[in-house]
Amino acid sequence: MPEPIIKLENVWKVYQLGKVELPALKEINLEITPGSFITIMGPSGSGKSTLLNMIGVLDFPTKGKIYLKGKDISLFSENQLAQFRGQTIGFVFQEFNLLPNLTALENVVLPMVFQGKSENEIKKRGEELLISVGLEERIPHLPSELSGGERQRVAIARAFANNPEMVIADEPTGNLDSITGKIIMDVLTNFHKKEGKTIVVVTHDPNIASYSEEIVNIKDGQITLNHQQATKVLWKV
Amino acid sequence: MEGIKEYFYIALRNLRTRSLRSWLTIFGIIIGVFLIISLLSLSQGMKKMISQQLRALGGETILVMPGDLSNLIAMFMSGAKLEKEDISAIKKTEGVDKVLTMSYQALVVRYENQSKTILADGLSWEEGVDVLERFQGWSLKSGEWPTIGRREVVIGSQVETEVFEKPIKVGSELTIKGRKFEVVGILNSLGSKQDDASIYLDLPIYQDITGEKKGTGKMAMITIKEGEDANRVAEKVKENLQEVRKRRAGTDVADFSVITSEKMSGIAGSILAIIQFAIIAFASIAILVGGIGIMNTMFTSVRERTREIGIMKAIGAKNSAILTIFLFEAGIIGFLGGIGGTILGISFAKLIETHGQIHPLFYFSASITPGLIIFGLVFSFLVGCFSGLFPARRAAKLKPVEALRRYE
Repeated sequence: MPEPIIKLENVWKVYQLGKVELPALKEINLEITPGSFITIMGPSGSGKSTLLNMIGVLDFPTKGKIYLKGKDISLFSENQLAQFRGQTIGFVFQEFNLLPNLTALENVVLPMVFQGKSENEIKKRGEELLISVGLEERIPHLPSELSGGERQRVAIARAFANNPEMVIADEPTGNLDSITGKIIMDVLTNFHKKEGKTIVVVTHDPNIASYSEEIVNIKDGQITLNHQQATKVLWKV
Repeated sequence: MEGIKEYFYIALRNLRTRSLRSWLTIFGIIIGVFLIISLLSLSQGMKKMISQQLRALGGETILVMPGDLSNLIAMFMSGAKLEKEDISAIKKTEGVDKVLTMSYQALVVRYENQSKTILADGLSWEEGVDVLERFQGWSLKSGEWPTIGRREVVIGSQVETEVFEKPIKVGSELTIKGRKFEVVGILNSLGSKQDDASIYLDLPIYQDITGEKKGTGKMAMITIKEGEDANRVAEKVKENLQEVRKRRAGTDVADFSVITSEKMSGIAGSILAIIQFAIIAFASIAILVGGIGIMNTMFTSVRERTREIGIMKAIGAKNSAILTIFLFEAGIIGFLGGIGGTILGISFAKLIETHGQIHPLFYFSASITPGLIIFGLVFSFLVGCFSGLFPARRAAKLKPVEALRRYE
């Protein structure tokens, strides 16, 4: 079995709200293997986003260990983690989260700039990515000049800029209509199938979950079900 | 460090997006730098001008002025004079070679139907020419020195062409206080605008037209005999003048000042140092206020763009990248303020200088050197960076997950 990209081992995340301790994640064990397409489902407040932050190594657990390609992230410095995150993980957010002052191309190349890649290399790669998501006409446009679907495609192109092994998408179709949502999921699925990228999607939408091969259901900070798509049991209210 | 060019570009874009706020902050810095540059260039100009004049005095001259040097304003405003007996006592002092008595006043001079107020210097030509040529480096560009007792004047190099619409030539006629004077000589530049924009005439004639008491003077310049020590001669002059005072007024209170040119340099130097210190202190307050403006703008910017910072960190930005972007923003604000302030400061100083050339009694000179310009730009950039340091550090230290969560 290949080494997991991310492994969560007995992970707890507890928020301290004054004197009250609020556990957002309880004893989570999860492995994300290369080339998988996983959907995380759960009701609002179930701890999905907190889990996503852990998988994306954006946050540290209160208890337990997170291993990024076999290495314990608690031993990383903040800068090492940023570097590693930039190389290994791409992010797609529900709100697109593009930098408003930069053009589509500039947004896409930004992760490569942070990795110190050469100017020529990043420009070529940025243009290729935007063409691959069907935005060749929108390269010099600012986010404010793009539709919601176009913005999300720019965000997907950005997520793949450093050729990461894994892309994490937080409700990627949450702010889009169903037709645009399907286009976005097709783009993500395309990267998964053609380039063998690992995709982790958080969603409420069973239709989106149907694209994935594995579904992780989470409730009250605990994984309640973790099963293959063949035995589909989707989250129910 | 990777991506410097890109970080600079991002910073520039961010500033352009918040253009009104950015410009208002830049304006704060412009005011501070404007004050520093204009005041420094004017005070440097003043220092240069005074130094030139003091250099012209040479090392072996002594100045005698009525009044007490410890109270400069009172000394110049009192209108006190050296009396005939005083000058006679100075001349009789052992070690004194020559005594050049002088008096000055702004007078209305008429030339070719045009009247201008010009500083007129009455000099005792009899002794004066030799002293001025040997010790102050005076020389004639054209013409000759005036004949003693005749209504003849020599003019400074600026009076020749810059004061009146028509240039003055040797042989031209000037009217002062209703009397006609012939221009017999034109001086080469004396290195000081005030001297170059004055006219010079024989002291008794000057006293005739101004009504000043004959034989007196507002100042005396003494040259000493060869081998004599200036400080020793100055002491003797002081003693003799005190004797005269005692005889005349029954008091030995020193209401005159005897100083060597060396001492004069020291006094002028310390006064200028105090003036410059005061200027820098006031201008620093303006810069401090500008710097606080930058800090405020940058803190607001960090708060507004917390989510952006979170996004950049999520996609791989290190703390140093965020710090650099925000420092660039603050530095650009400072630098643009520096450019604006330097241009305005130089223009203002030049304006004052030009105005000073027109007015007969005020001669401001602006000293604008490449060093001053570089100082203005580098200083303002550094003020920007320093003011932006704390907000930038705060931005860089934000945890990605907290930054992304905030304002959700």
